[in-house]
Amino acid sequence: MDSVNPMKKAASLLLLVAGVALLGASLAMDCMGGGGAIYQYRGAVLIIGIVSFFLGLYLFPTMTHHRDIVNVIFLFPLLFTFGVTVIIPLVLGIFYSMTDWTGIRYTQFVGLANYAQMFHEVSFLWSLLITVLFVVFNMVLVNLVGFALALLCTSRLKGVGFFRAAYFLPNLIGGIVLGYVWQFVFNNVLVKVTGASLLTKTSSAFAAIIIVYIWQYAGYIMLIYVNGLVTVPGDVLEAAAIDGANAFTTLIRIKIPMIASTITICTFLTLTSAFKQFDVNMALTNGTGSVMDFMGQYLSNGTQMLALNIYNTAISKNSYALGQAKAVLFFVILACVSLVQVRISNSKEVEL
Amino acid sequence: MKKWLSLLLAAMLTLSLAACGGGGGTSAPADGGSADSAAPAASGNAIRLVNGKIEVDAPLKKLAAMYKEETGVDVSIESMGGGIDIQGTLKGYYQAGNMPDIFVNGGASDFANWSGLCADMSGEAWAADTDAAYINEDGTVGFPYTVEAIGLAYNADILEKAGVDPATLTSPAAYEAAFATIDGMKDELGLTAVVGYYTEPVNLYWSTGNHLFGNYEDAGLARDDTTYFDMLSDGGKLDVDRFTDFAKFVGLLQQYADQSMMISGTYDQQILNFASGKYAFVTQGSWIGATMTSDDADAYAAAGNFKVGMAPYAFQDGIDTILTNSPSWWAVYKDGNVEGAKAFLQWLTTDAAQEVLVMEAGFISPFNSSTYVATDPFAQTIVDYQNAGKTSGWHWLGNKEGLAQNYTGQVFNDYAQGNLDTDRFVQVMQQVCATAYGG
Repeated sequence: MDSVNPMKKAASLLLLVAGVALLGASLAMDCMGGGGAIYQYRGAVLIIGIVSFFLGLYLFPTMTHHRDIVNVIFLFPLLFTFGVTVIIPLVLGIFYSMTDWTGIRYTQFVGLANYAQMFHEVSFLWSLLITVLFVVFNMVLVNLVGFALALLCTSRLKGVGFFRAAYFLPNLIGGIVLGYVWQFVFNNVLVKVTGASLLTKTSSAFAAIIIVYIWQYAGYIMLIYVNGLVTVPGDVLEAAAIDGANAFTTLIRIKIPMIASTITICTFLTLTSAFKQFDVNMALTNGTGSVMDFMGQYLSNGTQMLALNIYNTAISKNSYALGQAKAVLFFVILACVSLVQVRISNSKEVEL
Repeated sequence: MKKWLSLLLAAMLTLSLAACGGGGGTSAPADGGSADSAAPAASGNAIRLVNGKIEVDAPLKKLAAMYKEETGVDVSIESMGGGIDIQGTLKGYYQAGNMPDIFVNGGASDFANWSGLCADMSGEAWAADTDAAYINEDGTVGFPYTVEAIGLAYNADILEKAGVDPATLTSPAAYEAAFATIDGMKDELGLTAVVGYYTEPVNLYWSTGNHLFGNYEDAGLARDDTTYFDMLSDGGKLDVDRFTDFAKFVGLLQQYADQSMMISGTYDQQILNFASGKYAFVTQGSWIGATMTSDDADAYAAAGNFKVGMAPYAFQDGIDTILTNSPSWWAVYKDGNVEGAKAFLQWLTTDAAQEVLVMEAGFISPFNSSTYVATDPFAQTIVDYQNAGKTSGWHWLGNKEGLAQNYTGQVFNDYAQGNLDTDRFVQVMQQVCATAYGG
């Protein structure tokens, strides 16, 4: 049975050749466009080609590589999807950032000119600056609020289940809807208290975005902290209580050290998600707000964070290539943050 | 045994792949917008139209139904508007191979995006029937469907009661006197404020940044005079004298505006308050007539369905024109269902279709052969200005993309908030325009 079967070999080669031929034919038809009745079946031809290629590959008479071939066949759907949805857009994006792409077509290769231009753009530097500020504020505030809510929700209050659900609920509402709802609240309801709408001044509008963001995100972080807190072993807490530790000491000396890994996770979650803040920012202020003097210029994008700046550069200012260059920088920043996060999480796990 | 099992699994895997992929593959030709299914046979004869005026969605759908009844051709109307970036969405459609057959373009920069991709319609019968078509190096690429006007809309009944003759409003001094008179009679006339001037920069930037700013570019000039537009296009330069006069006039509007709404009020509130007779003037153009007679019809009726008119933004002595233009055009996508789209557009100029466009959508027909005059409150005033030859063109559609949204809208808001005085407003405006055009 293990000897090479000539029939099988022939079948395998036939299928391989037919598969490649059908693949090529369907792709050629697709590129060259219309003509012929078979044209509208090019999709089916493509699929038959792929199937017969893999069938041929599977039947290929080899003992040494058979396992590898099966592995590749099983991995193929995932690799293909990953390539089409992640790798190809990334490579294309980097390429487009070095051209004068308009979103429709490009006429020339401009090298790093877009990258040079974006660092000369004062409004972009401002966006970078306030994004970092926003991230710092949120990392601290969301975690504090989330942790406080988690403590509340793990205490022996009545109706804790209700509160958990209630605090988590804002997270289930989309950011755009949230942004418009809060815009209405700030412009029509709170204005009775604050005099002028919070959204009209850059500093208060920035604070408004932070408030909405905390409202949206603290419930989510709370749930993670709740999970962490319930894993603190009861016997340790009991021992602490017998030793006479009060609630505060228990919190500082027992609970927080016990959930250190949860804190790391939450910190990075808030960090990356705050960096990517887009929808609330867009719906609430759309980046408006004035800065009277920043590096000698008046700026009209006072609350425009990085993601929104990229979007507006590409879409509303119609500079797709420049926006793409900014997006590449954005990717690099986020990739660095994620790498650091993975490093730290791994080392923490070893400690535990 | 094991081998058979793995073979079975592999076969199932490839089959499932075939099933998913196959579904996509066979459905692709049926999708008329697919980028490469240029073959007319595959795309059928349905037409898809992307409309940029969401307020006329219903009349357009009615027209689509009428056309379907008459010719059997399906027309699907996709309406966008209300601050949505239509060009951005269209680019997304283009990338996805999902281009509509007819789509809206707002002006020179929009048409520049699609140069070489719009079908030439110069051979169509309607092209000889109008002077509002959009023409560029690709030929006659824009089908005009309405004429709009930008002026300072006023409530004629209130002006009459206050004894102000709108015909005299052709100089800043006349405006100052009129505003002061009306302001003194506010309680008597039931007004909240003299002017409904709103500057909220997130959703209403286009009112200040495009329309008001457009008056600096064109008010008082001949229709083809592009002096100030050309200056702006040349690195974002402003004429300081003219702009300072303009800034002073905006300051006057601010002084008599509804202070509680000026900074963060919404478009809906602005129109509703004007329709309710709470403002004598409102800084919006002729398109608000459609809202006043539909969404705000109750309030408008309660205020007595007052007569309206439009006065020029006379920030310098002798400015006596309002700005009129086709606000946007419909273009036909070259690789779409060109013949079907052309036939549909031609059909829109027929009597039955014009009746719906004019009487129901409230459009002012740009076609000479059309005899309908809209019941829209502002239709008459536009016709009057046109007959008197007192109109200027508008060129702000050709401003740098995103100028209003990213730059000038916020500056107007800062001026209204009092963060900038008149001189500083002029300086800042010069700076942001230079930045916008330089970057």
